[in-house]
Amino acid sequence: MAEENSLVINHLNKKFDVDKKQVEILKDINLTIKKGEFITIVGHSGCGKSTLLKIIAGLVGYSEGEIIRNGKPVTGPDTDCGMVFQEHRLLPWLKIKDNIGFGLDKSDKQKWNETVQKHIELVKLQGFENAYPSQLSGGMSQRAAIARGLVTSPDILLLDEPFGALDALTRVQMQKEILRIWEEEQTTMIMVTHDIDEAIYLGNRIVVMSARPGEIKEIITVDSANAKVRGSTDFSYYKQKVYKHFFEDERETEEYNI
Amino acid sequence: MKKVKTVLLGLIIPVLVVIFWWYATNYGNTPESILPKISTVGKTIGAMWTAGSLQEDLIISLQRVVEGYLISAVLGIVLGTIMGMSETVRKIFQPTVTTIRQIPIMAWIPLLILWCGIGEASKIVIIVIASFFPIMVNTLSGISQTPLEYVEVAKLYKISKWKTFIRVYLPHALPHIQTGLKLGLGVLWMAVVAAELIASTSGIGYRMSYARTLMQSDVVIICMIVIGIIGILMDKLLTIIFTALTPWERKRRERG
Ligand SMILES: Nc1ncnc2c1ncn2[C@@H]1O[C@H](COP(=O)(O)OP(=O)(O)OP(=O)(O)O)[C@@H](O)[C@H]1O
Ligand SMILES: [Mg+2]
Repeated sequence: MAEENSLVINHLNKKFDVDKKQVEILKDINLTIKKGEFITIVGHSGCGKSTLLKIIAGLVGYSEGEIIRNGKPVTGPDTDCGMVFQEHRLLPWLKIKDNIGFGLDKSDKQKWNETVQKHIELVKLQGFENAYPSQLSGGMSQRAAIARGLVTSPDILLLDEPFGALDALTRVQMQKEILRIWEEEQTTMIMVTHDIDEAIYLGNRIVVMSARPGEIKEIITVDSANAKVRGSTDFSYYKQKVYKHFFEDERETEEYNI
Repeated sequence: MKKVKTVLLGLIIPVLVVIFWWYATNYGNTPESILPKISTVGKTIGAMWTAGSLQEDLIISLQRVVEGYLISAVLGIVLGTIMGMSETVRKIFQPTVTTIRQIPIMAWIPLLILWCGIGEASKIVIIVIASFFPIMVNTLSGISQTPLEYVEVAKLYKISKWKTFIRVYLPHALPHIQTGLKLGLGVLWMAVVAAELIASTSGIGYRMSYARTLMQSDVVIICMIVIGIIGILMDKLLTIIFTALTPWERKRRERG
């Protein structure tokens, strides 16, 4: 049974030292993610979503609890777990193709070239192979960063608001693309998003987090196929379900954006 | 077109200086021993060149400069890098380095003459001391200011420490290293001329101080001009090398 789970998080707590004071960021996070699942995470700004992803990636340590990734306790980054950061983080001195192929073993030059080229096409950056990040638009940079995350074909891919800087059209295209890759490669996807439509459209389960300290308020399973059709009744049902949390919390009618 | 304009703008002041010089020496009553005529300077250059003394002095000084510069560039970049990469090493060296930096280069000369005599060694050491610090300090800040976000990306992909240095820290530091090398270049000639003025029987600095005792202002001026021209040539050479090494910087600037 253990091998069926990509990720098991038990009683995870995370505190940061801010101004010599310990601030609780994540509180008692419990989450089990099956292999090949698509998990989306929504929550207020600053509730610790990025921190949670970095802890899963092994880039940030944690205070208490345990995390088992692919059957092993997390002690640091590993090649089986990739991540697309909230900021694109392309290295300014590397050409786009070298940025995309950054994490890929270069000993087989030809294979490297093929794989990188395939991913450049995937994110529609043909013609920009030899450009530098400073020559790209925000959305293009983000697509390059997504390609960099995918290129090593990790078992688990962590995506931190990867489509934030994309226009509505490209966004829908990329969502379809990511679904296609997910089905094809059976990657376990964990995606943070502030777009509730996106969370419903992509996620098998939606993790709703509370404001600081970040706790899991509810995990919503999107189990109706109809829910994947934007504008359907099922879709609106899940949307209501997610929204509800943010309004109880705040008791104010702000924009439907979190 | 833009290049031509840049060159032309840069020439305005030199041309004005020459006109003023020409006017002052032909229509003013400036004595030749204070400011020689342009024509006299021209003649003296010709004479120095045919006698071979100009080339000889130049080559001797240039040798010292290049040798000292290479040594301090290697030392500065290597030590700056090590200090930039390791906080412990930085903490060990920083107070001492900062203290030593406060000592003016001239203050080293008496001690160095006592230690190394007035041979080649003392001149090279002076040059190294003078140009080492700007190179090291700038390399250090270039390496240590590398954004942690980029280092984190390398960590995520389990890139080895050495490869992370080559692919993340070093490219980030290159523009800073360039700044350090240019600052080092600026103090090179100061150091070599100072050393030659005080303790030498050869080189451009020696030639200048000797000419001064003979009231040959034309020779002094020629030496100064030669130093200036070689300085700007070395600076340009560095710019060319670093432009080739950091193509992304140009693209960034083009975009503005
Ligand atoms: N290295 C750190 N040291 C101290 N505090 C930190 C550190 N990293 C993050 N924090 C704090 O942790 C909290 C959560 O940050 P995090 O980036 O995880 O939020 P987030 O949910 O991703 O927000 P957003 O939606 O705005 O991206 C914030 O209050 C932040 O200030
Ligand atoms: Mg975040």
